[in-house]
Amino acid sequence: MNAVTRGVKNTFRNSIRTVGIIAILTVAIALSISMLVARDAVNTKISSVRATTGNTISVSPAGFFGFSGGGTALTTAEIDKISSIAHVTSVRSAFTQRLTSTDTSLTAPTPSGTLGNQFGGGFGGGGGGGGFGGGGTFTPPVRVVGTNSPGTALVGGANGGGTEKLTAGTAFAANSSADVAVIGTNLASTNSLQVGSSFTAWGKTITVVGIYSAQSTFADSEVLMPLATVQTLSGNPHSVDSATVYVDSVDNVSAVQTQIKAQLGTAADVTNVQQQAEEQLAPLNSVKTITTYTLIGTVIGAGIILLLSMLMIVRERRREIGVLKALGAPNASVIRQFIAEATTFTVLGSLFGFIAGILLANPITTTLVNNSSNAATTGGGRFGFGGGSFGGGGGGGGGGFHFGGFRSFGNALTSVHTSVGWSTLAFAFVIALLVAVIGSSVAVATIARVRPAEVLRSE
Amino acid sequence: MLAIANLKKSFSTSAGDVPAVNDVSFTAKPGEMVAIIGPSGSGKSTLLSMLGLLDSPDSGSLTLDGRELASLSPAERTHFRAKQVGFVFQQFNLIPNLTARENIMLSLEFAEFPKSQRRARADEMLTMVGLTSDKGDRRPAKLSGGEQQRVAIARAFANRPPLILADEPTGSLDRATGKKIVALLREAASAQDATVLVVTHDEAVAQQADRRLEIEDGVLTEIA
Repeated sequence: MNAVTRGVKNTFRNSIRTVGIIAILTVAIALSISMLVARDAVNTKISSVRATTGNTISVSPAGFFGFSGGGTALTTAEIDKISSIAHVTSVRSAFTQRLTSTDTSLTAPTPSGTLGNQFGGGFGGGGGGGGFGGGGTFTPPVRVVGTNSPGTALVGGANGGGTEKLTAGTAFAANSSADVAVIGTNLASTNSLQVGSSFTAWGKTITVVGIYSAQSTFADSEVLMPLATVQTLSGNPHSVDSATVYVDSVDNVSAVQTQIKAQLGTAADVTNVQQQAEEQLAPLNSVKTITTYTLIGTVIGAGIILLLSMLMIVRERRREIGVLKALGAPNASVIRQFIAEATTFTVLGSLFGFIAGILLANPITTTLVNNSSNAATTGGGRFGFGGGSFGGGGGGGGGGFHFGGFRSFGNALTSVHTSVGWSTLAFAFVIALLVAVIGSSVAVATIARVRPAEVLRSE
Repeated sequence: MLAIANLKKSFSTSAGDVPAVNDVSFTAKPGEMVAIIGPSGSGKSTLLSMLGLLDSPDSGSLTLDGRELASLSPAERTHFRAKQVGFVFQQFNLIPNLTARENIMLSLEFAEFPKSQRRARADEMLTMVGLTSDKGDRRPAKLSGGEQQRVAIARAFANRPPLILADEPTGSLDRATGKKIVALLREAASAQDATVLVVTHDEAVAQQADRRLEIEDGVLTEIA
């Protein structure tokens, strides 16, 4: 029987104490594993959110917020300057207008409904002044998006939908100025339009070249037209009311944002989607911090528990250590025996703790995330109207502020999934090792100091 | 041959240095059993600690079969104890969660006795000290005091060391059992040609030895 076997055997020498130590270690290690899994899950979520939102910058006229804000439109020339900034890979520009029944032959497919009448009656009644009236009914306008980025004009889930996908026909060219349009399936269906059909807008005949779907009743009720065409027909040449700037790397977003602000000055609101995402991610970051500190705390706690237990055991067996040394056991052999004992405690605690930790990880993660995101619910509500496209028919300003994405984003943040990968297992192994090392360290030092002559003299 | 010359050891106290062993010299031959008697605090346990290399003398010489031991390094002392010295203690000091046989095999392990022969040697030692094989499977708590001391003697002699140090080996036993244990020690010493030093304050035990030495205030004298 070698020192390691003796150490393992010694683990079970006092069954009540063994059960006690293993139970405490199990709880501490279970908590460590749960925190580790929760941290990984939250980290993965944060990374995925950052990966999808991290490299874009939104530019809009200063003070412009859908139908609620005004602002002076930016110009194509200003946007062109942005395109030449280093690290900018592309700029998606848009100019959004509404077509009332007097401007177009199209009929808006979206019923006004209770909410529509409530908001539309209030906001739209004034024809230009707006004003909070209330009551009455109104006919929703048809929203026209002039874009230089057909195929991704609605990217980011504008108006609650996804990026548009052509279901028939073709898209127009990015720099087109033709009187053509790609219309949503809902609008096409309501107006019995198909590829090749035409409708009128601002007194011009517009040919339908394609039909798209964005998986949203509202988004599928819109018209996409070349940017230049909308600018010309609406009498706003060179106007742009929103631009999305794509940067080559997340690392360069901040620098590019600073340059855009320097170029456009107070004329534009330049917002970094990453910043907005970070605000939304703040609760998750809090969870990450909590889990990190709890993880560290529980590992140290488990180490201290084992350390004190081993110290108690070593002090209790001081005479035995002295006898072993007197019989000719080298220090290393005695130390190896006690390390084996500490390691057996740790392995058993880790085994039970790992199983319990895995079982507890999901409920703990869910609880932490839900509790932390409750505080952010109010913030998410700010974007609740998702663009506010219903506006006064006359001159309420453009709609189409792409905030719908953030609402879905906020909802998705609470949906964090836990999983246990090899990295978690490896980390758990490191935790166990750390606990064993911490737990054995003082015991080892104490064993080395035991002098058999002193121990046996006290007999 | 064990030879001690001018061995000295003192301990520092608040009242100054107190000599525990004062200029002790003697020799002991292989197969000889020597009893060292003296009252409590006379220095006999300190002398035994130095002979077992558990403690270092302040000065003097200590040789076994011509090899000087006082100047050995700590690692050499450990190795020497494992191979050349057997201990028998008053409280037996068996490892409680090991069986009697495993306790005997423990000293064989430290002495680097061939692994394949350890069990057979342990059984041989159990027989030598008069214990049956089934007693070898018992833990110390399941053995009587006399049986535990027999196991301790078996452990001490198992790897055939030339020197056996017994510190009050009968101190925890009744008189009859104590007498048997000393007789056993003597037989084992003869059988294995080992030098046995027995420290005791019991005159009856000392009477069973080949020679008697008395220690008082650290000074050793031979009793004729």
